[in-house]
Amino acid sequence: MNTQRRQEITTALIFLAPFLVTLAVFFVYAFVRALYFSFTDYNLFNDPTLVGIKNYTDIVADSLFTTALANTLLFAFITTFLQTVFALIVANILNQKIRGLAFFRTAWYMPSITSSAVIGLIFLWLLQRRGIFNYLLTQFLAYAPVIGTLALVLVAAQVVQVLIERARRLPASWFDPALASVSALVAIALTWLLTSLGVVGVRDVPPVDISYYATTARIGGVLPVPLATIIAQNTFTTVPTLMLFFLAGLQNIPRALYEAAEIDGATKVQQFTRVTVPMLRPVTFYVITTGLIGTLQMFDQVAIIGAAAPLAQRITLAYYVYSRAFAGGVSEVGLATAAAIVLAVITLIIVLLQRRFFVADEAQT
Amino acid sequence: MSIAKDTPRPPARRGDVDDRWIARRRWARAGWTYLFMLLLSFLFLGPFLMGTLSSLKDDPNEYPPRIVFPQINPANISTAYRLGVAGGGGGWSGGLTPGADIDFSFRVRQPGGANEIPRVSVPARRPGAGLGAVRSRALANEYVQVDGPTVVRREGDVVTYRVKVTYPRLTRQQGERVFATLPDEQSGADFTATVGGQPVKITLDTPEAQQVQYTLGSNPQQPVELVRSGDRYYLAGPLIERTPLDVNLARGQTFEGADLPASDVQNFGRAQSFRNITPGILGYTFNNYQRAFRESVDADSGQSLFLRWTLNSFAIAITKALAAILFASLAGYALARFDFPGKNLLFLLVLFVQMVPLQVTFISNYLVLERLNLLNIWGLLLSTGIGAAAVFLMKQFFEGLPRELEEAAALDGATPFQTFWRVMLPQAGPALGALTITTFQGAWNDFFWPLVLLKGNLNLTLPIGMLSFREAYGAAGDYGLILAGAVLSALPVIVLFIVFQRYFVESQTGSAVKG
Repeated sequence: MNTQRRQEITTALIFLAPFLVTLAVFFVYAFVRALYFSFTDYNLFNDPTLVGIKNYTDIVADSLFTTALANTLLFAFITTFLQTVFALIVANILNQKIRGLAFFRTAWYMPSITSSAVIGLIFLWLLQRRGIFNYLLTQFLAYAPVIGTLALVLVAAQVVQVLIERARRLPASWFDPALASVSALVAIALTWLLTSLGVVGVRDVPPVDISYYATTARIGGVLPVPLATIIAQNTFTTVPTLMLFFLAGLQNIPRALYEAAEIDGATKVQQFTRVTVPMLRPVTFYVITTGLIGTLQMFDQVAIIGAAAPLAQRITLAYYVYSRAFAGGVSEVGLATAAAIVLAVITLIIVLLQRRFFVADEAQT
Repeated sequence: MSIAKDTPRPPARRGDVDDRWIARRRWARAGWTYLFMLLLSFLFLGPFLMGTLSSLKDDPNEYPPRIVFPQINPANISTAYRLGVAGGGGGWSGGLTPGADIDFSFRVRQPGGANEIPRVSVPARRPGAGLGAVRSRALANEYVQVDGPTVVRREGDVVTYRVKVTYPRLTRQQGERVFATLPDEQSGADFTATVGGQPVKITLDTPEAQQVQYTLGSNPQQPVELVRSGDRYYLAGPLIERTPLDVNLARGQTFEGADLPASDVQNFGRAQSFRNITPGILGYTFNNYQRAFRESVDADSGQSLFLRWTLNSFAIAITKALAAILFASLAGYALARFDFPGKNLLFLLVLFVQMVPLQVTFISNYLVLERLNLLNIWGLLLSTGIGAAAVFLMKQFFEGLPRELEEAAALDGATPFQTFWRVMLPQAGPALGALTITTFQGAWNDFFWPLVLLKGNLNLTLPIGMLSFREAYGAAGDYGLILAGAVLSALPVIVLFIVFQRYFVESQTGSAVKG
């Protein structure tokens, strides 16, 4: 080894030293210790003794753990799915040359920059039994006849107009924006007329008072309602960011690809599945991977909802780990770390599987 | 729209579709797009705007919720300012100071026979609930005189009354006004206060002053106003946070309104209570915000906890950002440019770290800091560490820079550190901007680790402080203070975001598109 090489290694080590030290103490040492604790009966006060895989068999037998595991997987998959799909759809709608996008972009980032604590508290307040959300639902039900009339007239007017245009051999699509504006005006005018004539009007409905937290109800018999509120909240905060990711990805796709596809006679749907989706694969991969890693570790909202919802309706693996280690009367560090290791392994497996599928897909196309 | 809405059948003849038809469609589509974008903005900002608006209300849980409410009515705001000035605490922050003289009017409908004069009183109502209830403060009812109500005007059945609330000074001496704080405990025979850090003896020159010395002295850290005359200090009276007022009508009378709307109405509208008739603008419109600062106090030192949480959050976030700038870019640079044994292993480790949940490593880190007696805010500062994601970002960035600059610097005889510090780091402006902001944001919003580490502390960061607000006030449904705290704790990041949003957007989309 010559001196120059030795010098390079020394420099690299010096540059890396602060990082290596924190990595060694706060990660490697911590990781190894957690692995070790998961095979012991450690409880913060005793000297740990090895107990084999007892902790792992214990947590599998613990019904709270299996609930937490089920909740975590449900939460991670549903949230990742919803946020990815919504973000993709909205990004596609917005993928046009529009002025003023920068302004809206600033506004849309707002949910993702505010902390989970802040958003969590605001949602807790919105979703009270006599809260804003239930109030809006009540208003919606009260105005349902008016809204329904508006929608019906809008659709009818649009159908009639498109048929007329087509009869005149003009290439009007069902969603033609210019005709839709006219339909909207017609719908508003007619609804206004009908309301002032008293044909349709606001109904009297009792206030909606759905309880979103203090409930044991499950959506579809599977998904606890409090957990569903966290899904809604998480989707709400992540869709704007992910949408902007997709939008950046979409605007990086060369127009020439679409033109070539059009010349080859591809329909818009085919262009979407054959050009857009494959070209967006790197972004999608990133979005799904970070989405899964993030959602599998859901903790903040569970803690913020706190006693407002029953534990089994909101507990996730991360919260299970925390409550086994600190929240109860005794600190069952052995059980807690075993559960944490399970969480880590699940994360790793899901990410690797996801990577494999994506890479395999790419090889085919 | 470009996917689904665009499936027209090809026209029979091109000539049929003229330019105007196409232009009309384009304009209409732009209109719909903007409408859609506006709707999205409402959806994404809605909860936050609702929360902000409602945080100004007396009762954010009112049902049905109103969009327009007394606290944002300009007339009420200007009255609040006037009453704040009358109370002597100023038009903004309000309060009641010695020598104050307040006129407060209200109108009562008194149909024939119901001519009894309404009773008014300044009740002994302790400000604060939850965290703030432990603190003892001088109350207005012990110091004020209430005159009236006297009839000012009669218009038909409606009678306008005026109440005069005065706060007589407890000294007859004239001289310079001095503000002081009482000590935690009065020890010895003298009544003392702290002026600018120095304890001074207070002379009680009137029987009124002597009468209050024991009740007043039992309020630790109570702010008081003194008068300096010669080299002696005289007690003018305590500075009181607010002046509650109750108006009780007789049977048959109805309340028609007052200078400010009542904050609580009971007994079929006949018991109207005003939380504070000397509010100032902060005390009226921003009452919940003032409460967030005033009610979250350390029982020992009397300092505002919310203020300290904010400062802590800033300190942690700034430290983390600085550590990331310096150390993560050093490490990223080393990974990008130097060749050393174990480099690939280290890189794999960097990727691995990002996938392992915090829940695996936190117990050991907790134990390490416990051993060092650092289960507090200092421990949080120390354990900031250097994010693997930050190192990864900087590595990617430096790999994208051309090598020529470094080679030129090396030819000029620069050491590797000089090359890094003088040549490469200045190039990294955009990446560093993104790194700083994402690190700052991450640290500001960090929840799990501070929660574990700061358990049982009063010295928290904002998100954990918000959790303690939620625990103290949420069960009682007192959301005013929670929402005000939430808005305040979100503000710095929002401001930071608006100022530096260029970096935000670039960093996030950049890392996504590159995958």
